[in-house]
Amino acid sequence: MFEQRNEVTLKTDVLIIGGGSAGTMAALAARKKGLDVILVDKANINRSGCGAAGNDHFMAVLETGPDWDTPEAFLTWYKRLTQGLVDTKVVEKVYTNRIKGLVDYMEKIGIQMRIDTENNDFVRTKSFAQPGEYFINFDGRSLKPIISKEAEDAGVKCIRQVYITDLLKQEERVVGAVGFNIRNGDSYILEASAVVLATGNVSRMYRNPSGFPYNAWHSPYNNGSAQAMAYKAGADLKNMEFVNYTLTPKNFSASALNAIVGMGGYIVNSLGERYVLKYHEQGEQGPRWTMPWGTYWELKEGRGPCYFDVRHLSDEALEHLLNHLLPVDKNTFMDYCNQKGLDLKKDLLEIQISEGQIPAFVGSVTGIHIDENCLTTVPGLYAAGGCAVSICNLAGSMAVGEAAGEAAADEILRNSIQIKPDPEIISELKARAFEPLQRVNELEESRFEGKLHQVMAEYVGIGRTKLGLETGIKELKKLKDLTKVLGANDGHVLMRVHEAQDMLLLAELIIRGALTREESRFGLSHYRGDYPETNPEWHVSLHQSLKDGIPAMKKVPAYHQ
Amino acid sequence: MEYPVKIDLSLCNQCGLCEFNCPGDLIYSDQAGDPYLKYPEECWFCGACRMDCPKNCIEIIFPMEML
Repeated sequence: MFEQRNEVTLKTDVLIIGGGSAGTMAALAARKKGLDVILVDKANINRSGCGAAGNDHFMAVLETGPDWDTPEAFLTWYKRLTQGLVDTKVVEKVYTNRIKGLVDYMEKIGIQMRIDTENNDFVRTKSFAQPGEYFINFDGRSLKPIISKEAEDAGVKCIRQVYITDLLKQEERVVGAVGFNIRNGDSYILEASAVVLATGNVSRMYRNPSGFPYNAWHSPYNNGSAQAMAYKAGADLKNMEFVNYTLTPKNFSASALNAIVGMGGYIVNSLGERYVLKYHEQGEQGPRWTMPWGTYWELKEGRGPCYFDVRHLSDEALEHLLNHLLPVDKNTFMDYCNQKGLDLKKDLLEIQISEGQIPAFVGSVTGIHIDENCLTTVPGLYAAGGCAVSICNLAGSMAVGEAAGEAAADEILRNSIQIKPDPEIISELKARAFEPLQRVNELEESRFEGKLHQVMAEYVGIGRTKLGLETGIKELKKLKDLTKVLGANDGHVLMRVHEAQDMLLLAELIIRGALTREESRFGLSHYRGDYPETNPEWHVSLHQSLKDGIPAMKKVPAYHQ
Repeated sequence: MEYPVKIDLSLCNQCGLCEFNCPGDLIYSDQAGDPYLKYPEECWFCGACRMDCPKNCIEIIFPMEML
């Protein structure tokens, strides 16, 4: 029987929550500053996070000569892409200033960055309206195990299979976290002078087109615990109303879009028209949001199904796509094609609009608000990677992770923090962590989540109105009442019950933001049928936070520098 | 749903890497030490279990709804 067992209390300088690409880099960076570091993950770190099974694109500015390959050109593009809702001063400090060094480091630890082995050179492609070829096509299949080993070899203490439920606060400062081991029931009290959150985006909050909620574009185990914990600790969350959609293969929500449009692939409707051109002058080379946006209207107006079409590509380009990109990014991609009976050299690949996600992709403006030091609005609490707003594809997450680890370490090296957590608070948080084990399980967690997916898709999904969003709020209230009958009988389900509650909290914030923002922006991300235009007066970020237990919202002007 | 991760136990050496690598905590070992997919409906179809398998004994089978 699974029950609460031993209490494990550990003290460290820097605690990193989330062992994906951002968290592992944060841990390594803080450790390199000579500090004691704990990296905790609910899975096994070796292959955790969105990059678990590989990645094929590494976005970098390499300063090789052309105007576009400079930090200035990159930042100009990034500001346009994010419509000024991300502070490019942060991006400069956490990404462009360090990305060349990161590429060097990756090569040093044995990641194959130069897949043009004949000339020992990088292969670079561009997509999403970039001014030049920022995406290094690389072999990232072993990236995650290699950097995890680097971190462990450097002396980072990795704690595996421990799910963190709450942050620990001492007055205004975050001084650690509380959680439990999902396999053996030990409770964990992790005391730290600084905490870095790095648990990624949220991939499992919306209805999945295939009917399988874990068949998601990004890791379906990313449930937003960082955003939820940050919010509960008083931190600002930014632009939660923008939900991201992308294009994925029909019923298999795998990355493919970047690889396909980067190689010059087309997106066509059933009449054979390259329809994205109707919605954006750059067509398939435009920003990501224009592609699901155009697809939505094509399907609505009866010109579907829609497809990726790569049949016109040269043999060389097809060979690169089918061997170096698609199966490197998603290890099972060719299994899907084979089992479906698809030959991409001859056949169209049917596509779908993916499940909605709290986004983590290049150009996302949604998540935990951080400053140039990756510090949230709460002392002692840092954030990096997909959960934070800065720059968050793989390369972005790794660079920001490194920056966050360094900044957290520097703060502790400057000022030592005395930690004396209140035992009463610890015991309350422990009780909360294990509480679902005490309840009679009247409702399966999967059914609870299924209802959440339904509410989010129908009232807070593609196409929003005031009445629909208000209906969504009522439905979420009913779901909140149902959390009282969500029980668990083992550690795995206990983890899922906590994950579901985090998603429910974030769902409320999405609705609140969506209701407040009376305009439409970023295509399907926030399309209000009752306010269908982008309104310059709404060229702002919406910050939500919890002040003395009361939800607060403020408008923050876009960045114009 | 069918089991998307098919492990050929006649080849498996019980090294435990698939259980260790699964990012979703879905693979467990039974009392004999054989791995099995305990939560098939939570599979991401990522292939992390298969990638480092030293015996190459894991197949990913997509359910019909995904094909």
